[in-house]
Order: sequence, then structure tokens, then C-alpha cells
Amino acid sequence: MGYVWVGLLALVLVGGGSPGIEVRGSATFKDRPLADAVVWVDAPETRQESPGPEIILDQRNLSFAPHVLAVRVGTTVSFPNHDRVFHDVFSFRDGKRFELGLYPVGAIKHVPFDRPGLSRVFCNIHPGMAAYIIVVDTAHFAVSDREGNFLLPNVPAGTHPYHAWRPGGPILNGSADIRTGSRLDVQWR
Amino acid sequence: MALKAAAAALVMALAAAPCTAQSITAEVDVTGGVSTENVRAASTQARVFGASASDWRFFAEATWGGVDGQESDAFGAAYPYDGRIRPMEVYAEKMFRPRTYLLGFRAGRYRTPFGISSRGEYGYTGFVRAPLIRYGEHFALSNTWLEDGLDVAAGWPRLYVETSLGVPQDEGELLRRRGLDGSVRIQGYYKSLIVGASRLYTGRDRALGDYVQGRALFNGVDARFTTGGVQVRGEWIFGRPFDGVTTTGGYLDLLVHRRALGIVTPVARFERLDYAAGRYSLFLHRVTAGARVQMPGCFTGQINVIHQPAGLAAGRRNVMDAGITCSVRR
Repeated sequence: MGYVWVGLLALVLVGGGSPGIEVRGSATFKDRPLADAVVWVDAPETRQESPGPEIILDQRNLSFAPHVLAVRVGTTVSFPNHDRVFHDVFSFRDGKRFELGLYPVGAIKHVPFDRPGLSRVFCNIHPGMAAYIIVVDTAHFAVSDREGNFLLPNVPAGTHPYHAWRPGGPILNGSADIRTGSRLDVQWR
Repeated sequence: MALKAAAAALVMALAAAPCTAQSITAEVDVTGGVSTENVRAASTQARVFGASASDWRFFAEATWGGVDGQESDAFGAAYPYDGRIRPMEVYAEKMFRPRTYLLGFRAGRYRTPFGISSRGEYGYTGFVRAPLIRYGEHFALSNTWLEDGLDVAAGWPRLYVETSLGVPQDEGELLRRRGLDGSVRIQGYYKSLIVGASRLYTGRDRALGDYVQGRALFNGVDARFTTGGVQVRGEWIFGRPFDGVTTTGGYLDLLVHRRALGIVTPVARFERLDYAAGRYSLFLHRVTAGARVQMPGCFTGQINVIHQPAGLAAGRRNVMDAGITCSVRR
């Protein structure tokens, strides 16, 4: 019996904490579903996150993909060029400022994002190319899909501040009561 | 015939795109400009591009440009200005990345893949004019030369070879005779330095009358280097538009894109062209200083101050060009 408790304790320690709650939600603008809204919750980590897959802001077909990328502070974002033409990626305004220079098909550049904020990303050759990288200081964040839906995994139960951002709009701030089955719906009017 | 085929391809691409494309984007550029060479110009380009679910990509572009005033190469940076509506590039392409290799196919109408040739690197970069060696009426390798054909790029991202076989479908005033022509380009990069070498073998220039004999042949080397937002690029092209003459020339561009300069991107160009054709020879050089200015909304301004020898174009030694463009993407 004692081994069982030791085993459970070890499981908790290895897991880094109790599992959180999966919070579903939606983003709307003037009562219509809104894609590419970023929602994040200021809450402690429920468990140690293992390094995820490489985070990519792709340059493909004269566009950035995704149009909105949300990452956690400390993430390094890769910028591969998958077009036959050159691109010259830069961000000069807010957030992380960088200029990657001209690079051809198949080349890839990397930028670490080491503080929270919003970076507006453009290509110096193709003025129609634009993307947003929003850097948040929490593990609990999500980007809404085409139907405006999003999923925040592993949020600890309790009341936590949340924030929501959309391209061209103000940041919404609020407080969310996170419990099993609770939803977080954000609305811009 | 080829124009009709390209126009049909454009229509088909536009019609088929909504049905098959995973993503589709449309862009429109509208430009107006003036030059102290007594030139006023206006143009518009509309393009649509996208990709299918299996990542077959398509690109279709139509253009119209009109110019009023005396003959000049002003506003000829990337598009013809002869008052006609026509398709420019209309193609489909597919790229494969087996392991570390690169293999790309492009079929349709595309700009002649020689040296620095893409639309984005000439149009609306801050320079209002094409380089002398890239302007067709100087018996050079025109920026508005197009191919109806097949282009294959193979190698690795760091070093690949691009080969094109096609029929010339040039836009502009001095056109190549239509026949099978080819080009080969090798390109490599190391860190921020990108270098290339190109060779073009083509049919006779058909617009100059009976005295023109032989096939055109051009060779070129090009390089681009970027550091800290400062880009230096250039080309050196040498060859012959037809037998008995030679065209040699190049340019060196400087483009400064730094945060400290805000909305202004200063540019400068130093260039020369030697067309050796006996008593018809042209020996030209030109210096350009200017800027691209990102303005509010969709607008971008371009202003160039040019110093050129007497005898070029309208014969003015110092010229100013200015243009404003609104670009919209949906």
C-alpha cells in the first residue's frame, strides 16, 4: 500500500502539478464570430510544460501564415521562406523589433521573443504581407479559429484575470471564474 | 495567339480559384506620377494568387499603364506603360522539398528568370525607373520580358539551378522574335550574401528591321547583401541583343531600411550602360538618389532625383520623378 502512495506522489512530482481545466470559449465582434482573436489568462502553471513543436511564422504564397501568432515569453519563432521569391521580414513598431534582411526560398531565420508585447510583422518587398505576433507571459493562451472558437488547456481552477486582443481593436480585460465546464466568451461590441 | 492563351489562362485561374483554392488573395495597386522630363503617368495592377489544398499555387496579374508627354524611361521600373490592358505573369507552380533538396516547377507566363528579375524587387521599391541595363529600348535585357514556358528549379536552398524553356511573350516596345529560348541561372547564398549567375539565349530581336541578324545572348552576375537593414545589390550584364553589337552594363543599388528612419527608406543607384554599335552607340551613366515613403493608409510615395548625361531621354541632365501608389489587399 505504501508503494502506491509513493507512486502517486512521484506521479504528481513528475507531472509538475495537478491537471488544470480545459476552458472553451468564443470570440465575437459585433455579435459575429471573430477569427484570430488572442485570449490569455494570468494563472499559474498547472504543470511543467515540455518544449512544444517548433513555432513557425511561415512565408508562403506571398502571405504570412498564420496571420496571428500567439507565443509565450521566451519562445523563439522560426521564419522560413517557402516562396520562390525573396522576402525581407521586419518589425519596427511595438514589441520585438527586428529586420531579418533579404533571404531566398528554403532559407530560415529565427527570432527570440523575450518580453510581452505585440509585434507587427511585414515584408519590405511585398507591402501586402502583414502578420501579428503577440507575446504573453503565461502558459494559458489561445487564438480563435474561423468560427471564433478557442480552447485554453490546463487552466487552474479559480478566479483569474484574463485579456483578449484582436487585430485593430482594443485589449479587453476581465476576470474569469474557472471551474469545470465553465466557458470564457469575449465580445467586442 | 499567345496573348489570347495567357488571357484565357488568367480568366480560367480567376474562375477556378474560388472552387479549388484553399486560400486566395487579391491585390490592387494604383499609381500616379509625374516627372520633370515632361512625363505624366498612371497605372494599375490587379493580381490574384492562392494555393490549393495540395499546395499547387497560382498567380495571375493584369496591368494597365499609360503615359503622357515625351518619350522617357520614367515609371518603367517593372511594368510597360503603353496604354494597353494585358496579362503580365500568369502561372501555376509547385514546390517539393524532399529531405534537404529543393525542386520547383513553374508553368505559364512568367518574367524571364535572369538575374534580379522578380516584380517585387523592382516595382515600388523606391526606384521609379528600371536600371539602364534592364530597359529594353537601350538594347538591353528588359524588365518586362516574359516567357510562356516551363521553369524548373532544382538543388538545395543554399545552391540551386533554375532552367527555363519558353517562348518570348515580351511586353514593352522592343520585343524578341517568338521562338524557343532558354535561360539558366545558378544561385547560392551564404549568411546574408546571395549571389547568382545567369545566361540567356534567345531569338532575334524582331523590332529593329532587316539589319538585325543573329540571336541575342546575355550573361550576367548578380549579388545581394543585407545587414542591419542596409541592402546592397547589383547586377552586371553583358552580351549582345543581336550580331555585331554588344550591350554591357550594370548597376549598384543601396536601400536603407532602418527603424530609426521611420517611414522613409532612402535609396541610391549608380549605373552605366555601354551599347557598342558603331555610329549608333550609346554610352550612358546615371546616378539616382531617392526614397520610398510609407504614407498613411494604403499610400506609398516614391521620389527620385536623377543626374544623367545630356542626350539621354529628354536631354535633361537633372530630373526629378515622383509617384504615389495605393496598394490594397483582400
